Amino acid sequence: MTPYLLAASDITVRELLFCRSFWGIVLAAISLGLLIPQRMKYGRTVGGLLMIVAAGLLGSDLPLLTNWVAQSTFWIVAAVTLGSAVGTISSPSPVHAAIWFAMSLLGTAGLFFMQGAQFLGVATVIVYAGAIVVTFLFVIMLAQPEGHAVYDRITWGWYPKTFSVLAAAGMVGILTMLLAGLREQAYAGPSVCKPIASADKGEASDALAPSLGGQENEEAISKAIIQGTAVPPVEPNPVLDADHMAVLGGQLFSKHLISIELAGTLLLAALVGAVAICMFGKPHSNIEEALR
Amino acid sequence: MRDAIDTWLTLIPALPLAAAVICGVLGPKVLRHQSHWPVILAFAGSFICSLLLLRDVYENQRQLEQSGAMVAGYEHVTNLWTWAAVPNAYDLGETIPGDGPTPAADTGWRNFRIDITLRADALTSMMLSMVTGVATLVAIFASGYMHGDRGYWRFFAYIAIFVFSMTMLVSVSNFVLLFVFWEAVGACSYLLIGYWYQKPEAAAAGKKAFLVNRVGDFGFLLGLFLIWSTYGTLNFHDTQANGDVVAVATEGSADAAAAADGEGGLVRGVLGQSRLKANDFVTGGLATAICLLLMLGACGKSAQFPLHVWLPDAMEGPTPVSALIHAATMVTAGVYMVTRCSPLFGASPEAQLVVAFIGGFTALLAGLIALTQFDLKRVLAYSTVSQLGYMFLALGAGTYAGITSGMYHLFTHAFFKALLFLGAGSVMHAMGNVIDMRQFSGLRRLMPYTYWTFLIGALALGGVFPFAGFWSKDAILGSVHDKVHAIDHELEHRSGHGKDHGDDHHPATDGKTHIENPLAHWSDAQLARYSKIYLALYYVGIFTAFLTAFYTFRAVFMTFFGEERIPPQAGHHAHESPPVMTGPLMVLSVAAALVGLIIEFGSGLFSAAQGNLLSWWLGHTPSLATGVVAATRVPGAFHLDVAALSTIVAVAGIVLAMYLYLGERVQAERLSKAFNLNSNGLFGSPYKASLNKFYIDEIYDWTIVQPLRLLAFIAAWFDRNVIDGLVNLTGWIPAAAGSLMRSLQMGLVQFYALAMVLGAVILIFARLMYAAG
Amino acid sequence: MTNEASLLYNYLMVGGALFALGMIGFLVRRNMIVMFLCAEMMLQGVSVSLVGWGRFHGDWGGQLLVIFIVTVAACEAGIAMALILMLAQRSGKLDATDWQQLREEGQPAYVDREVPEDPDYKEPVWPTLTPAGIEPPQDIEETLHRSRV
Repeated sequence: MTPYLLAASDITVRELLFCRSFWGIVLAAISLGLLIPQRMKYGRTVGGLLMIVAAGLLGSDLPLLTNWVAQSTFWIVAAVTLGSAVGTISSPSPVHAAIWFAMSLLGTAGLFFMQGAQFLGVATVIVYAGAIVVTFLFVIMLAQPEGHAVYDRITWGWYPKTFSVLAAAGMVGILTMLLAGLREQAYAGPSVCKPIASADKGEASDALAPSLGGQENEEAISKAIIQGTAVPPVEPNPVLDADHMAVLGGQLFSKHLISIELAGTLLLAALVGAVAICMFGKPHSNIEEALR
Repeated sequence: MRDAIDTWLTLIPALPLAAAVICGVLGPKVLRHQSHWPVILAFAGSFICSLLLLRDVYENQRQLEQSGAMVAGYEHVTNLWTWAAVPNAYDLGETIPGDGPTPAADTGWRNFRIDITLRADALTSMMLSMVTGVATLVAIFASGYMHGDRGYWRFFAYIAIFVFSMTMLVSVSNFVLLFVFWEAVGACSYLLIGYWYQKPEAAAAGKKAFLVNRVGDFGFLLGLFLIWSTYGTLNFHDTQANGDVVAVATEGSADAAAAADGEGGLVRGVLGQSRLKANDFVTGGLATAICLLLMLGACGKSAQFPLHVWLPDAMEGPTPVSALIHAATMVTAGVYMVTRCSPLFGASPEAQLVVAFIGGFTALLAGLIALTQFDLKRVLAYSTVSQLGYMFLALGAGTYAGITSGMYHLFTHAFFKALLFLGAGSVMHAMGNVIDMRQFSGLRRLMPYTYWTFLIGALALGGVFPFAGFWSKDAILGSVHDKVHAIDHELEHRSGHGKDHGDDHHPATDGKTHIENPLAHWSDAQLARYSKIYLALYYVGIFTAFLTAFYTFRAVFMTFFGEERIPPQAGHHAHESPPVMTGPLMVLSVAAALVGLIIEFGSGLFSAAQGNLLSWWLGHTPSLATGVVAATRVPGAFHLDVAALSTIVAVAGIVLAMYLYLGERVQAERLSKAFNLNSNGLFGSPYKASLNKFYIDEIYDWTIVQPLRLLAFIAAWFDRNVIDGLVNLTGWIPAAAGSLMRSLQMGLVQFYALAMVLGAVILIFARLMYAAG
Repeated sequence: MTNEASLLYNYLMVGGALFALGMIGFLVRRNMIVMFLCAEMMLQGVSVSLVGWGRFHGDWGGQLLVIFIVTVAACEAGIAMALILMLAQRSGKLDATDWQQLREEGQPAYVDREVPEDPDYKEPVWPTLTPAGIEPPQDIEETLHRSRV
């Protein structure tokens, strides 16, 4: 197994208690529990404040990028994304929730742009934020025109709330632990959260020396895999090609042609299905009337 | 000749069996109220076959005797078929403890084999003729008595099965088969007692009879196990090593066979002629144990104390059943078995004393209880128990005279007791099924045949000269008296001549075998003690004879004398019974009157006869021909002193009964009041104690039945609550778990999703934590 | 190199956080639309992670998969909206609690214990037009005394 997982099982309680990410996750969980629509009077305010603190803790614990501009851009976009996501799940009005979600989608698009996935960013904005969220809003208008309803303001008792928050926090925590090995490589300086059983720094840097050419690259990759260290990306990154659209289209329509066709068929089926459901799913529906 | 004997032997049980099958199959629909025909014809056929068997056995015996080759009596064993056979099944080893090394013939590997073997010898033929004869007469009577009963065919089918079982019981030559048919007669008795099963008392009485018999059978079975482990075989007769029967043992063959070693030689039967000739029986504690256990079985079957409680209740059955089973045949199976095993008993004087004691005690007990009973059939039932006690008293004397007189009394008792019971049945039939003597009286003018035959039977039972009971009872008392004399003689002999003496006082029977005086082994103290006990038993016998005469004639006077009273249940029935019922009564009364005289004075017809006819005849049985029993055989003498004493007490009893119950019966009431005086005593008055059978049933109820019920209740509670509870708990757990799980299925999608997520998180976390290991 | 690793780490954290938030929202909200919005949010989180991995490994597969995810999400959203509309027509509201019929027999239904007041709710005041053909009410003072010329 990779040292990531091995590393995770070697964390001691002391390390855990000193880890900012851990406290960040804990605080975030508590604040989410408070933010979810409920009957407590000032829950949402307190929750919001706690969430800000938690976000600060978590954000400060992320490994830094080389470029400060890139780092701050990332922080802003990520903050927008995650803040809007929190808004989605905590707003009592469904319309507001949809708007928050659209905001989150914009943030996600920004993240895509930062990774050099321009097409995806645009597709997200057009398809997701532009079509899907609008459809959601239409349906809300049709089904719940008066806005706030009882079931928007409360949720099922403490049991589902607590357990879902715990599960989510657990998942994020596990993710963090799993990636501890990755972070070890990402960190330039010492970190309290690094795992004990990690590869030697010298070996790691040797193994991770970049090499050009296919053969050596394969060797390096396989060696790295066997040693259990991170696989270095290939330079230059083919994903960051200048002709982004062309290369993407080429990949899509050559290697994944069948998938494209199937996706088209799926869209057709969904279209037909949606129409059929709306026509025949009404209570006491009369087909002739509907067709008329 | 041999083949004819086989035919008779096979036919005698086969005919009743066939009749039972015909009755059972065709009875309900075809024969219905003619169901008695196959049964009566079968019984008559069996009786004729048994007479022919008697003749053939006599002929063969005489031939064997005259040729001089007789070893130990005459027996003819036929093997019908093999029931079970396992070759080389067990190693006998050194199983016979006691003095001296184990004879070679009793060691080594044996084949295990149970054959259906029937034997013909003097004892068997006598029993067969008696059983079939009485059965025929009872069946004829029953066809009239049970007329119109709804289960007519069932009655005759059961009777036929019973006679089949009884004839097989006295014919088989194997302890296992004896046990099988022992149980079979018990089962038939249960069926017949509970014949009117809708009546709860009858059903309960049937159950009681069967269960009490079972207790006895338990002892019998243990005795069989001991016999098996001691003697290595359960056959009466000798067999070859491979299990084939040795048909008739002659002098030469028996010697040659007894000299043969282990394998390939003779397997000596428990009562086989070679063993009898060598007198090779186990002595000491083992013998006493075997004999006492066998006696327990006999107590159960023959209703001796403490297992006598079933016989009075068995009167719930139809009267012909009481006459056949509980007077003449089934209850005599115990006496037959003890007689057959007399060599075994002869090896243990302690067991013989116990037998005599049980017999005497039971006779006295039953006699005392019979004094106060007012149910005529119950009086006769207790009288049966008492007479059986006499038989065991005689058997317990242990001498040849004792054993043969026991069988003699069995033979005569069958006739007069069956007569009395059938007479009671006739009275019941006339009185509309009322048998309470307080409700009727003065029937002698109404039912003359019944009255005269009943009177003859009563005279025979009371032991009045010259009826049958006089001779047999006298023989019993005489044998006990002789035993006392023999012991006293031995004591004098010892004190006079010292321990070392010859056996000149007790000559051997036929000059061939030379057995020691069995009393020679007893110690002086033992002799003195035994003498006293036997003397006491003798006086108990005399007293019981007085009681017998008294209560018998009390019954006669209460029923047939006095003013004529008929209970209202009689209705139109108050008349004499039809000829089909009075016919057997008359035949039996003739037998009761004449049998004794024939046996006593008929021995002159046969040249070599000594003593009475029966004792001469039975002397040819292998068990009684040689051995310690035969060593005590003396020429039959008529005991005038005993006869005089018993006649005096019998007449005294009759006179007392006349005084109390003939006429106004004022004296009887005065007497009962006198006996009733200390009703504040522990068990009430003696009268009440006697009336309530000395509370033996109640004692059994409190000490055995209730604790068993309690145990059963506890066991049932335990089974229902603890064991079933555990099982139910095991069944409840999945249900509980299910309901727990069920509460998770709220029907809300998000709850399902939550469960999925939690599960996934836990799985990942577990995988994570154990990644290193 | 470290840049790539830390970039990947950041993106994975964001994607994971998005996914977690979406999961919480899906499990907790009762409005069917909002529930579905959160499901879409989960898909977005996954997309972010995929793009990050794609960049790290230099593989187009990440982005291609995201394209397909978007396609499928669109189809799914269409069908889901149709279904939700039908459900809302049958029960009259968008509450997920109305649809509990698949619970076990003997299991009591979930009922809300207390219903909180909506603090922001005000009775909507809809604007009205004066009915035509009727003179609007005028101020008497205004007609008698002109306040100004």
